Amino acid sequence: MNAKLKETLLNPIFKNNPITVLVLGICSSLAVTVTMKGALVMALSVIVVTGVSSLILSLLRNTIPSRVRIIVQLVVVAMMVILVDQVLKSFEATYAIDKQLSVYIGLIITNCIVMGRIEAFALGNKPWPSFLDGVANGAGYGMILLIVAFFRELLGSGTLFGFDILNRFGYVPNNLVILPPFALILLGCIVWVQRSIQKDLQEK
Amino acid sequence: MNTNSNIYTVIYTTVIVVIVAAVLAFVSQSLKGNQQANEKADTISQMLTAAQFGTKADFQKMGNKAVLARYAEEIAEAFTVSPDGSRTGDIALDEVFSPSLLKRQNYNIKGGQNATGAPELPVFIFKNGKKVVPVYGAGLWGPVWGYIAFNEDNSIAGAYFDHESETAGLGAKIKDDPAFQAEFIGEKPSLGESKVFEIVKGGSPKDTENKEVIDNKIDAITGATMTSKGLEAAINTWLGAYSAYLLSATPKVEEEVPAEVNEEAVEGEETTKTVEE
Repeated sequence: MNAKLKETLLNPIFKNNPITVLVLGICSSLAVTVTMKGALVMALSVIVVTGVSSLILSLLRNTIPSRVRIIVQLVVVAMMVILVDQVLKSFEATYAIDKQLSVYIGLIITNCIVMGRIEAFALGNKPWPSFLDGVANGAGYGMILLIVAFFRELLGSGTLFGFDILNRFGYVPNNLVILPPFALILLGCIVWVQRSIQKDLQEK
Repeated sequence: MNTNSNIYTVIYTTVIVVIVAAVLAFVSQSLKGNQQANEKADTISQMLTAAQFGTKADFQKMGNKAVLARYAEEIAEAFTVSPDGSRTGDIALDEVFSPSLLKRQNYNIKGGQNATGAPELPVFIFKNGKKVVPVYGAGLWGPVWGYIAFNEDNSIAGAYFDHESETAGLGAKIKDDPAFQAEFIGEKPSLGESKVFEIVKGGSPKDTENKEVIDNKIDAITGATMTSKGLEAAINTWLGAYSAYLLSATPKVEEEVPAEVNEEAVEGEETTKTVEE
């Protein structure tokens, strides 16, 4: 059981990563990866939403009428997303970031990872493993977000978390890196690296 | 228990929705105070940015308390005016015109079925003589608004714009691109005319000495035509409503201008003398 839990927790981080292997949540990963701060807040928000809504729905799983289960899932996920948004708005430190992420926090509702993991895992498993699965998938998503944001902020603005890194050496920020297509190029590179390490993902 | 019967399904979904609604209502109520404080500080920092007291990033680093303190320090007078230019009421120091209030006044300016009464237009006068007035209108995806600061001679001293959901990298430039906001500085809107201000393709041309021509036009944002047009409409609607007030508030300046001209003239004579010597 312990080995299985460990697998639940570690699989989504690398071997079964939601972005690079399942190719879910691509859209928001293009939009929120211009700065590390934005990506970090987005990653934490998704971890909370996937973890807690998986937990709640796993607790409810035996009582949910199967005909309306998607609706019930949506109601719970939407509640979590609104809660996260409200909390971000109420802190001085996160207000500006929430404003910058604007619609993308609200759009976590439509992030395929959340509904996908609830359908595939939380509805058939006990609460604790479901919670871990949700958190791990959120973390797998967040990790890719941070990797992409690292390169985009470093090369696009010459900073990391707003601190000057490259600009003091006379680096001229590359505007292409700021634009969404570059996030797709970086994602492609990450998938490439992963597939060359993990040979079983390669199509014959 | 049969979880697939109709009655169970109806009761179950009802209970879930009621619980979720209760949780959300409770959280929303308990966080409201903090959220409003954040919004207020944000609005004030936008006005201070428009009046050129610093950049928006500076104010963000300062924190809410410091921003409010700075505002209390710099503000001279705040009041509302009607479109005919007469003063209608005072705005207390802790009162701010948030975007939702601007929206209501926007309906009042335009009239029609959404109007709730006569427009009450806020004016914020700072101790350095700059008058800050808001503008509000519809962008491409949602509302756009902002604050325009006027010098005493009714030329624009600065501007800051914000939006709810314009496209990042295109329409969002009205907020994110300091160069766009800087284009407003020095321009002179034709107050009192039907077209007060224009945001057009190829606006803000350079003259032969490579200086910007002072007129009522600035260059629109490439790739964000609808946002530019929406902002232009917002500026025209609001500055149109402010025209009477802004024009009536100028005479004070006319007395000062000749004095300045004289000083310059005297300086000019002195320099010519030194050259002759």
